[in-house]
Amino acid sequence: MPVIFTVDPRSGIPIYLQIIEQVKRSVALGLLAPGEQLPTVKQLALDLTVNPNTVARAYRDLEHDAVIETASGRGSFVRANGSADSASIAAGRDVARSEIDGAVRAAKSLGLERAAVTELFETSLDRWLPEES
Amino acid sequence: MNALSIAGLRKTYGSVAAVDGIDLEIPKGCVFGLLGPNGAGKSTTFKCVLGLIRASAGRVLFAGAPLEPGAFERIAYVPERSVLYDWMSVREHIAYMQSNFSGFDPARARELLAQLGVGDERKKVRALSKGMRTATAVALAFARRIDLLLLDEPTSGLDPVNQRTVLNLIINEAAQGTTVVFSSHQIGQVERAAERIAVMQRGRIILEGVVDDLKAGRKIVEGILPSDDFSINGLASDARIARLERNGRILRAYVTEQPDAIAERMSALGAQGLRVVDLSLEDIFLDAVAPKAATASIVEGV
Repeated sequence: MPVIFTVDPRSGIPIYLQIIEQVKRSVALGLLAPGEQLPTVKQLALDLTVNPNTVARAYRDLEHDAVIETASGRGSFVRANGSADSASIAAGRDVARSEIDGAVRAAKSLGLERAAVTELFETSLDRWLPEES
Repeated sequence: MNALSIAGLRKTYGSVAAVDGIDLEIPKGCVFGLLGPNGAGKSTTFKCVLGLIRASAGRVLFAGAPLEPGAFERIAYVPERSVLYDWMSVREHIAYMQSNFSGFDPARARELLAQLGVGDERKKVRALSKGMRTATAVALAFARRIDLLLLDEPTSGLDPVNQRTVLNLIINEAAQGTTVVFSSHQIGQVERAAERIAVMQRGRIILEGVVDDLKAGRKIVEGILPSDDFSINGLASDARIARLERNGRILRAYVTEQPDAIAERMSALGAQGLRVVDLSLEDIFLDAVAPKAATASIVEGV
C-alpha cells in the first residue's frame, strides 16, 4: 500500500487528530475504499515515525466514529456495512463539519451577524454547489 | 502494573539537590521522553533509577519489584557518555555482550551496526567518531531482548539519517511492548517518538503529560477588547488560564485546558477577532522552563 498519510509532528495540532483527519479525508475521497485494509499500527507508526500508541489512539477513535472496524488478529478495515459508500459519506461529513464550524466561528468573531453569515454561505453555495436548473 | 514506578526520588550533594523529589509512573509499552535544560538532573535521575549512584531518598520499582541484580538481564541502558572500551574493537564488544547477556543477538547487532553505518567491526572503538560510538552503543543495546530501555541522549552526535533510524528503532521496540525512557534536547524527536513527556528543571518535574493532550489543551487564546479600559473581571481567576497578558485592546490568555471554552467565554465577554494559537511542544517546553521566552508559532483562525 502506498503511503497516503502525512503528519506534521511539529504542529500544535495533536498527531492523533491529524491521523484521524487524514484517514477520514482518504475514505471520503475513495483513496481508501470500503473494506480496504489500513496499515497496521506498527507499520503506520514506522512509516510516519510517530509513536505507536498515538496511532492506536487514532484508530480507536476512528472505530468509535464508525469509519473503520478492527477484526482482532486480522487488522483494521474501512467499514463496509450498510450502503457501499456510507463510511465515505460519513467521513466526508465529519471533515466538512469541522471546517464549516470553524468558518462560522471566525465570521462571528469578526462581528458578523447571522444574516450576513447566511448571505456569505449562500454565495459560496451558489458558486460551488449551484442548484441544477 | 507500571513498567517503572518512581516515588520521592532525591539525590543531594551536600546542600545541593540534583534530583529533588521525583514521582513518575511509566506504563508498560510507553515511550517516555525526558526533557530539560542542561543540569536539570536528567542523567542523575537515570543513574539513581538504575542504582548506579545511590539515591538519598525514594523508591524505584521495576514492574512492581525493587531492583535486583537479575533485573539487568531485561534492562538496557545507554548512558550519555559512551561506556565502550577504547582499546576493544567493535567485534570484541559483540563477543563481550554475548557472554554477558543471554538475550543478546549478535546477528541482530551486526544488522543494526550496518544500518547505522558502522561498517568495519574490526575497528577499535578509539578509532570511531563520536557519532559512531553512540551508534555502536545504541546498536548493542537494541540487539538485546529486553523489557525496559533507558536511553540518555541516544541521538547526540548522530547525523540526521541515523537519528531517524534510531527513532524508528525506538518505535519498533515500543510496538512490541518494550518500555522506553529517553532524554533528548531535540524536541522534534521527542515530539515524534514519545507518547508521554516530563520536563525537568532544577531537579524537579515541572510539567508532565501525554504529548497530544498537552498540545490539545495548551493554546494561546487571543481576542480584541472593545476599549483599552474594558473590564475583564473574573477571567483572571479562571483555573484553565495560566496567565493573562494585556496590551491595550489586545488580550492574550495562556490556556492549559479547554481552549475552545475559553474562546467562547472571551467572546461572551465582548472580545472580537478571537484566535486560538496552536503551540508546538517546543513552545510548551519553553513556556514551562522560561515563561517569558515562549513564542507562538502556528496560527489558526477561530
